[in-house]
Amino acid sequence: MYDREIRGPLVTGNKTFGQVTTDIIQPLEQKTPLWWKAVFGISILASLWGFYAIYITVSQGIGTWGVNNAVGWGWAIINFVWWIGIGHAGTAFSIFLLILRQKWRTSINRAAEAMTVVAVGCAALFPALHMGRVWLAFFIIPYPNTRGPLWVNYNSPLFWDFIAISAYLLISLSFWYFGMVPDFASIRDRAKSKVKKMVYGLLAFGWTGSTREWLRYEGLSYVLGGIAAVLVVSVHSIVSTDFAVSVIPGWHTTIFPPYFVIGAIFSGFAMVMTLMIIIRKLYHLQDYITNAHLNAISKILIFISLIMGTAYATEVFMAWYSGNEYEIFTFFHNRITGEYTFQFWAMVVCNAIIPQLLWSKKIRKNLTIVFIISLIINVGMWYERFNIVITSLANDYLPSSWAPYSPTWVEIGTYVGTLGLFAIGVLLFFRYIPMVAIHEVKSVMNAGNDEHKHS
Amino acid sequence: MENKRIIGVFDSEAQLVSAIGQVQENHIRINEIYTPYPVMKAIDAMGKRSIFTFAAFLYGLFSALAILAFLYYTSVVDWPLNFGGKPSSAFPSFIVITIVLTIFMVTILSLLTFSVRAKIWPGKAYVLPDARSTDDKFIMVIDRTEADKAEKPLETLLKDAGASEVYEKEVEEENVF
Repeated sequence: MYDREIRGPLVTGNKTFGQVTTDIIQPLEQKTPLWWKAVFGISILASLWGFYAIYITVSQGIGTWGVNNAVGWGWAIINFVWWIGIGHAGTAFSIFLLILRQKWRTSINRAAEAMTVVAVGCAALFPALHMGRVWLAFFIIPYPNTRGPLWVNYNSPLFWDFIAISAYLLISLSFWYFGMVPDFASIRDRAKSKVKKMVYGLLAFGWTGSTREWLRYEGLSYVLGGIAAVLVVSVHSIVSTDFAVSVIPGWHTTIFPPYFVIGAIFSGFAMVMTLMIIIRKLYHLQDYITNAHLNAISKILIFISLIMGTAYATEVFMAWYSGNEYEIFTFFHNRITGEYTFQFWAMVVCNAIIPQLLWSKKIRKNLTIVFIISLIINVGMWYERFNIVITSLANDYLPSSWAPYSPTWVEIGTYVGTLGLFAIGVLLFFRYIPMVAIHEVKSVMNAGNDEHKHS
Repeated sequence: MENKRIIGVFDSEAQLVSAIGQVQENHIRINEIYTPYPVMKAIDAMGKRSIFTFAAFLYGLFSALAILAFLYYTSVVDWPLNFGGKPSSAFPSFIVITIVLTIFMVTILSLLTFSVRAKIWPGKAYVLPDARSTDDKFIMVIDRTEADKAEKPLETLLKDAGASEVYEKEVEEENVF
């Protein structure tokens, strides 16, 4: 039960239901702000560079990347895991907090889900490109064919990954979209221009808000929520098994599935924090995304950061305790010290140490610092994936096959391109879709307060 | 066909819920209730139950069985492959893919069920008695013919129960199938 006396109101400013609709829809009805156009322009440029890099990759092949015989997985897989991790935020917020009946999720889930959809889309691009001949990507679809092995290998984590990510994209897209249907109806019924009424009317699927619809709507939310909670754990566990079932030192470890899932949620929450601070500032939504919301996310970040620190320590301890010389080499001479020292310590400092600053209430209240910490976590999580992918591959069992790795402009361009695509997706979301779930916020305005008054 | 309806407009969930109680005490059948967010008491009052979660469970159960059968058929019966001498019928390694594919199937089937049962899909012609119900009002719709059942006039009953507005309107019956 949400106790308003202790935790404060979920929506401040004594809003009426009508005001909630107006406040949240307002950004959609205003003229496009200048900053939006500027950032959109930059994002388009970034994505154009990305598309050019993709064109080079597809037309000339993976040889344009910096990957070699030893480091077969370069930036593409680092970025794939990074984006998928960020994509876990929507599920973490919408679904875990829905199942745990955390009412404070309502102001944040919409943006987190939007982010998930865009991030998973960006992530899916990398393994597709990594196939080399992307036009043969349909080989992975299981159907009777005449290519040789009649069916795909159902025992391979790489195939599981393909199915898991497709399912994840489908479920997060449908969860996000159906969450918006009642809000589209609100916009439709307020719209004055015919075009707007038609467009949002089409998007609203003929929603009226009758009990018949709400009953099934609640049913659908819980069914999708329940199964997506299982999926979010399995998606990143499967991503981690892509690594863990191999024999590469530093990868062949049972801690990988939980370590990856927690890491994904960590980076997802950090990205949500980044986005929420931006949204509430630019669109004046401080009454909906309150300080209490950001405070709650900060506390979750500290908690997950502690788990991350423990996971890092466990990996190092197990490498030493196992007595396996290759594991010891990888962790002690190739990460803690050695060629990749910077990346290892960047990971530890950004993910396990700096977030501890959030223990201080003073820092949690200073949104500039919180914003910077959230960015630092995302950088740290990128370094974590760099550590896993590159350090283990570059220096494995045979020193004769050791090879250094550095990305080419094509890999960097593809990554920058996905950053651009992500920004475009998020900006379009800012502009055309209510950033806060209107009906969900209305349903929790009374939370913990029976005397809620409105006119 | 009689399409005349009495529309009661309420400003808050509490007023709506208390009005539902009073209307039901008078044995008046409520045609439909429209709310800006899900109000459990209104859904209960309409006597509606959903077996959505049970249906989803059945979808999951049958999908999982079908997927396991498919994996067995493709990997063991139809085209067994030799992966380093490992058994073709590798049940443990079928588990993960079964879970994920089951989730995939349940999602698609649940979305279809939702669309059919809630009767919403792109471009559907809808009937919305009072458009304010998607913004800030709670709307109760009652057939005109039911009004005679009340001891006092229905308008007065709804007003006394807290309705901010009561009016009569012709509302077409939604005809979707």
